[in-house]
Amino acid sequence: MHRRLAEVLVGYSTEVRQGDTVRIESYNTSALPVMRETYGAALRAGGHPTTNLVLEENDETLYKEGRDHQLDWISPDQRWTFEHGDVWIIFDAVTNTKRLSNVDPERISRRLAARRPLQSLYLERSARGEFRWLICGSACEASAQDAGMSLRQYELVLARAAFLDQDDPVAAWMQFGERLERVGDFLDGVRELRIVGEDTDLKLGVEDRTWIRSKGLRNFPDGEVFTGPHETSVEGTIRFSFPAMMRGRQADDVRLRFEGGEVVEATAKRGQDFLREMVGMDDGARRVGEFAFGLNESISEYTGNLLLDEKIGGTVHLALGLSVPGTGGTNESGLHWDMVCDLREGGEVYADGELVYRDGAFFDGAN
Amino acid sequence: MRDPRIERLADLIAGYSLDLQEGQVYRIDGEDVSIPLAVALYAAAIRRGAHPYTRITPSGLEEIALEEASDEQLAYIPEPEQIATEQLDAWTSLWGTINTRSLTRVDSERRRLQLSTHYRMVNRRWDRISSGDLAWCGTLYPTQAHAQDAEMSLSEYEDFVHGACHTREGDDPIAHWRAMSETLGARARELEGVRELQITGPGTDLRLVVEGRRWLPSDGKHNMPDGEVFTSPVESGTSGEIFFAFPSVFQGQEVENVRLRFEDGAVVHAEATVGQKYLRSLLDTDSGARVLGEVAFGLNYEIDRFTRDILFDEKIGGTMHVALGGGFDEAGTENKSDLHWDLICDLREEGEVYGELVWKAGSFLSEPEPAVERV
Repeated sequence: MHRRLAEVLVGYSTEVRQGDTVRIESYNTSALPVMRETYGAALRAGGHPTTNLVLEENDETLYKEGRDHQLDWISPDQRWTFEHGDVWIIFDAVTNTKRLSNVDPERISRRLAARRPLQSLYLERSARGEFRWLICGSACEASAQDAGMSLRQYELVLARAAFLDQDDPVAAWMQFGERLERVGDFLDGVRELRIVGEDTDLKLGVEDRTWIRSKGLRNFPDGEVFTGPHETSVEGTIRFSFPAMMRGRQADDVRLRFEGGEVVEATAKRGQDFLREMVGMDDGARRVGEFAFGLNESISEYTGNLLLDEKIGGTVHLALGLSVPGTGGTNESGLHWDMVCDLREGGEVYADGELVYRDGAFFDGAN
Repeated sequence: MRDPRIERLADLIAGYSLDLQEGQVYRIDGEDVSIPLAVALYAAAIRRGAHPYTRITPSGLEEIALEEASDEQLAYIPEPEQIATEQLDAWTSLWGTINTRSLTRVDSERRRLQLSTHYRMVNRRWDRISSGDLAWCGTLYPTQAHAQDAEMSLSEYEDFVHGACHTREGDDPIAHWRAMSETLGARARELEGVRELQITGPGTDLRLVVEGRRWLPSDGKHNMPDGEVFTSPVESGTSGEIFFAFPSVFQGQEVENVRLRFEDGAVVHAEATVGQKYLRSLLDTDSGARVLGEVAFGLNYEIDRFTRDILFDEKIGGTMHVALGGGFDEAGTENKSDLHWDLICDLREEGEVYGELVWKAGSFLSEPEPAVERV
């Protein structure tokens, strides 16, 4: 299975070509087998792979003991990868998803802010097609525990979500990509979206913004269509069904109220301080940088891993903070925090006043 | 579970070997098996105000590269690697591995190409180390594989490693290595007064000319553990015979009971009971491969046994070692061979070393003259 996954990542997602530099990373050792396979696949494709484990224990040390100049520092390897690298693949295997729960949120926001220029740069390089980055789901006990299942069960969830259980995963991704194109084609013609659900009634202006069809090239598994809404257009309230996760911290039952595109009220049942700190990080952190439809029906259950949850077919999500270059969004921030709202039970979406989506599915054509 | 000895070792490397300073950029290299030490070193570096980062690689990648990579890919040096080599302030290599023989059966031609790429970087690294621009220290995180080679259990081997590094409970490692540095420095200065060494022992009667060469102390700055004084002997001056009682492991291949005869500096006869062919092929590496590039005294008496790992074996207290091949610029060598193969001669039972007689049965006969305090 590792080899099969590696071939898809290298051959389809990042299309490694002769002479490409390929940086392969992970946060812990549970991804070692798939890292080895990806290293081999990258060599066979003619690339120049290098590997590294970004040790989570070191992150904790840095947050707790590092001084400001150390928090702000970016390693030469990482800088080079983002400024000059061709391909970067990171496996999101971790040892403990809550490891940073007791870190001062101010420290986290400081580090995020320091990395903002580099993040903007690599997203721009990515939008120009110069840099192919990929965040890849990777089974680990910590994520399985969050999902309330065994590692073996989690591996199956991940494999299904990535179409690795199908005869020809690449063909399946191509076919799924065509469906995402149809949804995107429809949304391209929409001026205003209204999302209605439990404690949710939110309007967003999306006219002339670009909807990106996310088909397994930057995230894997994948399956969403997203854009950057007009920065001052967002009005109303939204309540997020799933806990909002960020760097090992979380906020539960988040509710946001927007006026003129800005968050004017933010509450959480748990993690209120963390939510406030993040939203207060900079001016852009109060605005929406991304709005998206999750469209992967092979992901049906909430797992607590955003990479999967934001793609659940029948959900929408928005991100506070940085717009993704290429969408037309212009919001700048050190933050990019995705939060997911489940519309599968009674949720509705109106496009320019017309009901186009109910209970997690578009009415026609698009699905 | 945290092993406080590992934290002590990390503090020793960061604080003494590398003397890490505020703002210095520091990289920690190793395979995944060495993660506990990498984490401890990272923390030690953060506490000293440095900027640490890691290059932790999955074990087994070299084998995959040998199977999958083209020659061009094997010879490729990634740009970040070049940048690191040119710009790092400090660097640690963690040599712990999961299987010391995983590359024993690979294609030796391809392995040579892979290693030559590696050595191109290592040589450039040494240029910066020698000029004082880069602090570098190589060490070993004890693993089952190394314990197995040393014929010990892992917990016995850990005790052995921390004994050799003076990082056991109750040790004051930094004080120990500072004192060791004094002693080794004094011994090196004393040896600089010697013109010729004669080493005698079982199967051994070898003369080496060391006049005009510089003796250097290995005092824990570049290796941990450490403990030797070494020089590069005069190239044409070696004559006689030497027998190496310890097996020698070079690039994963073992050679046993090596006997060498030297005339006018070069090996004229070589035999081994195991690995004879390999021994001859190493001697044919290039013209400098038959000539000594190093002679050294092993002076770490906590290392009291052979473990099949040169990091430890060459420092066994009471041994001498010589290396066939390239010598050290700082010692005044003229041997530029690509080979550097250490062979260890056990002098603990009946070995003697003469300038005048300075060494008998594993020890120098006198303490070195104390170093003159320099103001």
